[in-house]
Amino acid sequence: MSVIDILTRVDSICKKYDKYDIEKQKGGNVSGDDAFARLYGVVEADIEASLGKAEAAAKEKNKASAVALNAEIRRTKARLLEEVPKLQRLAMKKVKGLSPEEFAARNDLVLALPDRIQAIPDGTATAPKQTSWTTSASRTEIKFDSGVEPIQARDQGLDMISEGLDTLKNMAHDMNEEMDRQVPLMDEIDSKVDRAAADLKNTNVRLKDTVNQLRSSRNFCIDIVLLCIILGIAAYLYK
Amino acid sequence: MAGSDPQKLMTKADKLTQLSLTRWSADWKNASVLYEQAANGFRVAKNYDKAKLAFEKASKGQEMLSSPWDAAKHMEAAAALAKELGNWSEVADFYRKASELYNECGRSQPASDALAKAARALEDAVPEDAVQLYIDACEILEEDGKEQMAFDLYRAATNVYIKLEKYTDAAAFLLRLGLAADKCNATNSQCKAYLGAIIVYLYAHDIKQAEKCYNDCSQIDAFLRSDQNRCASKLLSAYMEGDIEEIKRLSQSSTISNLDHMIIRIARKLPTGDISGLKMDAGKEDEPLDENDLT
Repeated sequence: MSVIDILTRVDSICKKYDKYDIEKQKGGNVSGDDAFARLYGVVEADIEASLGKAEAAAKEKNKASAVALNAEIRRTKARLLEEVPKLQRLAMKKVKGLSPEEFAARNDLVLALPDRIQAIPDGTATAPKQTSWTTSASRTEIKFDSGVEPIQARDQGLDMISEGLDTLKNMAHDMNEEMDRQVPLMDEIDSKVDRAAADLKNTNVRLKDTVNQLRSSRNFCIDIVLLCIILGIAAYLYK
Repeated sequence: MAGSDPQKLMTKADKLTQLSLTRWSADWKNASVLYEQAANGFRVAKNYDKAKLAFEKASKGQEMLSSPWDAAKHMEAAAALAKELGNWSEVADFYRKASELYNECGRSQPASDALAKAARALEDAVPEDAVQLYIDACEILEEDGKEQMAFDLYRAATNVYIKLEKYTDAAAFLLRLGLAADKCNATNSQCKAYLGAIIVYLYAHDIKQAEKCYNDCSQIDAFLRSDQNRCASKLLSAYMEGDIEEIKRLSQSSTISNLDHMIIRIARKLPTGDISGLKMDAGKEDEPLDENDLT
């Protein structure tokens, strides 16, 4: 993203969140209670953002990102067009503190909105000239639109799949090499563990023999007798 | 005994090893044990200097007892403490000694590991020594036929060379990595190494060398059949045509993004210098050929 894009986007974001800026609202002309003004502000911000994106898409060299940007713009446009009837209804409402000229101006603003929205370039081959007077023209335009878009979207999808496959292939190759590296190590571990197990077995058998020897009754009796003698002597000494 | 003052243990151990009229041979066995305990005590007390000394003496004791494995382990511990103290020459020395002792045991992997640890510790402070240590570590492994383990070391050494901006050395190392990979049939690593070498040459703006490298590598079957070969040929032809956009596009491609991160970084910075000059050279080269064809 170039610096200009960043600046445009930051501007639009600031504009969008201006309504939360209490100081600005107190001093400014956008009133907090006026639903129309709020919604209109939001729509304006969206239009500005879409215009910024359209410019970026026009400059974009990478086809996939241009197509993605255009798709986003089209989505935003559709959403905004849905908001327009809401705005019209709000424009009809009487708000206190509003002069009759401003009221009339609001209506005009709302009427001008659909044109502005449609005028945002979204990368389709034939930009709509005057959508307000020929709905049929716009319909054919839409048909042409849907013809071009799937192919580009498909290319884009295939590109993403190809990238993912490349990553997978690389990972698989690396895993293969790692396995090759581990094989001799595992063999070594195997032989070492076998040796250690044999040693342990041997040791266990010898230990068993030794304990058995110790347990032979003669030694045991002698041990007990000697112990008794020692205890006797100790008791005698401490008495 | 374990709880007593490490200094006392040290003096006791010293007494055991000092020869005098009453003592005709040093009692290394007990002394080593005491030295080890003293060293651990110092380490816990964060007295790194004394701990290092104690580990050194313990290592010497174990050596006297003909147990090189324990001696090497103590040496490594001493080297780690030297690293804490920032005493770089001692770090290198200790790790080298430890590596020799491991070699005495006949265990090449720990020997090369010791050198690799030394190199990693010295990477920032004394990179030239670090590179030398990496080279030695790789040689130990190669002698023993364990080239697979050496890949990481080669890559680390290449990174250090790139940081030092010694691009020919870095490329040479990558070619060595390719050779090692060839011996173990690790074709993926091999091709990535060759592509990396070509990119390093291009980054150093040594186009002739890059082309030569590419021609050499194309002799190898495995490389010829690989994705990396295609990427390399596209990159070189883009350079020949002076097409900067194409170069930038290729450096973003997934083939290059699968390489080592240092190489990705320099690839993203391509092209360095002026490629339009190359285009002119290519044009001039064609002319004498055309004349020959006409006559």
